[in-house]
Amino acid sequence: MILLQIIISGLLLGAIYALFSSGLTLIWGMMNVINFAHGEFVMIGMYVAFVIVTFLHGGPLVFSPAAAILLFLLGIAVYFGLIRAILRGPMIAQILSTFGLALLLRYLAFWLFSANFKTLPEDLIPGVLNLGGILIGMPQLVAGMAALALTLGMHLVLTRTALGSQLLAVAEDRQAATLMGIRPDRMQALAWGVSAAGAGVAGALIATFYYIVPTVGESLALIAFVVVAFGGFGSVPGALAAGLIIGVIQSLSAYWFGPVYKDVVVYALFVAILWIRPQGLMGKV
Amino acid sequence: MRWLGPAGAVLLILYPWIFTGPFYERMGADLLLAAIAASAWNIVGGYAGQISVGHAMFFGAGAYAPLLVYTHWQLPPLAGVPLGVAASLVMAVVIGMPSFRLRGHYFSMATIAAAELVRIVVGNWDFVGAAIGLMGPPVARTVLDLSFRSAVPYYYLFLAVLIALLGTTWLLERGRMGYYWRAIQAGERAARSLGVPARRYKLYALMLSAAFTSLAGSLYALMVGFIDPDSGFGILVSIEMIITAALGGVGTLFGPLIGAIILVPLKTATNSAFGGGGSGLTYILYGGIILLLSRFEPGGLLELWYRLTAHRAPEQIEARHAA
Amino acid sequence: MLLEARSVTQLFGSFRAVSEADLDVQQGDIIGLIGPNGAGKSTFFNCLSGDLVPTAGSVRFEGEDVTRASPEAHARLGIGRTFQIPATFPDMSILDNVMVGAFLRHPHRKDARDAALETIEFAGLKSVSHQRARSLGTPGRKRLEIARVLATGPRLVLLDEALAGLNPVEIQTAIELVRRIHERGITLVITEHIMEVILSLTHRVLVFNQGRTIASGAPKDVVNDPQVIEAYIGRPRRRRAS
Repeated sequence: MILLQIIISGLLLGAIYALFSSGLTLIWGMMNVINFAHGEFVMIGMYVAFVIVTFLHGGPLVFSPAAAILLFLLGIAVYFGLIRAILRGPMIAQILSTFGLALLLRYLAFWLFSANFKTLPEDLIPGVLNLGGILIGMPQLVAGMAALALTLGMHLVLTRTALGSQLLAVAEDRQAATLMGIRPDRMQALAWGVSAAGAGVAGALIATFYYIVPTVGESLALIAFVVVAFGGFGSVPGALAAGLIIGVIQSLSAYWFGPVYKDVVVYALFVAILWIRPQGLMGKV
Repeated sequence: MRWLGPAGAVLLILYPWIFTGPFYERMGADLLLAAIAASAWNIVGGYAGQISVGHAMFFGAGAYAPLLVYTHWQLPPLAGVPLGVAASLVMAVVIGMPSFRLRGHYFSMATIAAAELVRIVVGNWDFVGAAIGLMGPPVARTVLDLSFRSAVPYYYLFLAVLIALLGTTWLLERGRMGYYWRAIQAGERAARSLGVPARRYKLYALMLSAAFTSLAGSLYALMVGFIDPDSGFGILVSIEMIITAALGGVGTLFGPLIGAIILVPLKTATNSAFGGGGSGLTYILYGGIILLLSRFEPGGLLELWYRLTAHRAPEQIEARHAA
Repeated sequence: MLLEARSVTQLFGSFRAVSEADLDVQQGDIIGLIGPNGAGKSTFFNCLSGDLVPTAGSVRFEGEDVTRASPEAHARLGIGRTFQIPATFPDMSILDNVMVGAFLRHPHRKDARDAALETIEFAGLKSVSHQRARSLGTPGRKRLEIARVLATGPRLVLLDEALAGLNPVEIQTAIELVRRIHERGITLVITEHIMEVILSLTHRVLVFNQGRTIASGAPKDVVNDPQVIEAYIGRPRRRRAS
């Protein structure tokens, strides 16, 4: 019984992992760039929620879209201001640039909000669901369901809409896409915006039940990397499956080995994936 | 400009006689240590172009090992240095072997994950001090403990190690190893088509880099006499190595040293100027520097220097490593 | 038989890029691979050079099976290649670029340097040997690519559109260089769009279309083959705009 509860809570958390990882995998598929500041995008989403709740007295229905919009704009700004310039440059520039961005964002958060943990009020999404003995916190449930819906939505938009197929076309073959009249620059900027927005919303959702601190981006980014590697670079469905699996693995690890080790298991899993199956579940290497 | 090199060398050797007092002596030692760590990182990150963001795992291993053998077996910390190197080499192989047959991003991510993994495990393992960390001998029992009260002996010890490191790098740079590393960095596909066994040579670079980084960690532990999970394995340790090397110029012999000469005094100044909030500001500065560097001048200050002075001989753009 | 490719097939997912291609290369040959864009000749080329492992089929070099051999193993065995878009090491000097190649057969710096200088002289790059590779224009980079692979001491060199993007004068100089390489005893397999080059240099030509080889023989015969003409939709172009 308790095992079932652990698995379910892992799935719910995993859905959130899937949400912010699918943007990351999209960018990798399109541009071969790993955004080391991705965790900071999530962190900013968390602080957006905090600011809106604390100073504007808005609820989840306000801060979730707000986080999405703000991060969307930030993602586009980052693309035009930084990414576009380093795309064709040496590897060190590519890796260092998003890393530098991560540092900058993280310590700006330290400066603005201090290192103290912050939390949103517990009664924001009140209640605990009781499914025949299995207890699920409402915030986790709502967040998990929303994340799942958004991730599936992203996948559907990518595969079923004209805009989505344009994005995927650029990911497949930028030159060919250009010849077909698609503007790769715009598509790439859009991808960055969407990716950041996904991260931002995920952060806002997490904020309803997790503590908010500037360093949270570090471990979340690593989880995103593992999810993306496990699911296969460039594959959103892969990110979904991998996110859910890793959420469950984390949950079980926390239960069996203690909460400290929940991240360790995931990192060890990453190294193991590299040895055994680098292309992940569904992607290309 | 030819006198710049020898003048700098003389300055380095005479530094503690020119800038006296514990504050400057300690800063000098810190500077050299930063240069050693960054130069070690430079071997795999600069020359071979494989960007490790988790070099703290080697630094920490090198820092913990000496204090470990002291704490548990009362040996002089020096005895632990080879242990740290051995552990670092093992980690280098475990991380490098699978990721070097994949694209560069995998390696970078793997290094972050591995360093974090080690940090968390160490932080929860009582044998190595858990969150509290380990300490070294409070007072030197014999001279072998290398526990000095002044920073000056450390300064010269570090200088000797730096010279050895840069000398080794220089020798390798001139030979097949160095050429193959630079080819891998410049274009792995083309390098392989010319017969460069890329995976193997990347691993060599990582192992050498890991060994020297471990040495840097050991030197740190010898001087400071204390280590804990964050000061050994924290991500900031890795970041400082990278930014120091990148600021001066990755893939160049003296780039990391130049980076250290600028950053260590800068960091000391911002830390003391802004008090408590200072360390946050320092890293905002770091982040900004990295951003600007990677966006506008990925080759670092040395590259900037070459570009600015190239106007003197436009017909003959001297290659950085003219044979 | 220096190089022997049998039934080489390359699938990308369900797309057949190359279908059952055969090639025989004797020591001293100059073979041309031609075909319209997307015909599979570049993919076939990459199967020969070790950059791709064919889905099916085999490639043998001097009797040894190299189908699955890595690019670096190919180089060691004596198969070299150039890249269509020159992949020279931009921030290294021309001399250093060529030395990377030379180190394959000369592990020591001095020997590698001497060998590299000799190759640079042969390729006509002596005057710029200390400049950074990025300071060269396209013809210079293509020349450097060739010099670099020559320094590895190959028996067979695969030239991937080595003359594309050159003006008529540069083409003549390049053809001269290729002839001199051949005179040194190096066997060549060339992919090219420029008919002038194919006609004047090659002994035999293999024509690709939609993954298959549709014609093979002496250049003059192949060029007049109706199937080949049809594949190109009209007359083969004299020069490809870059």
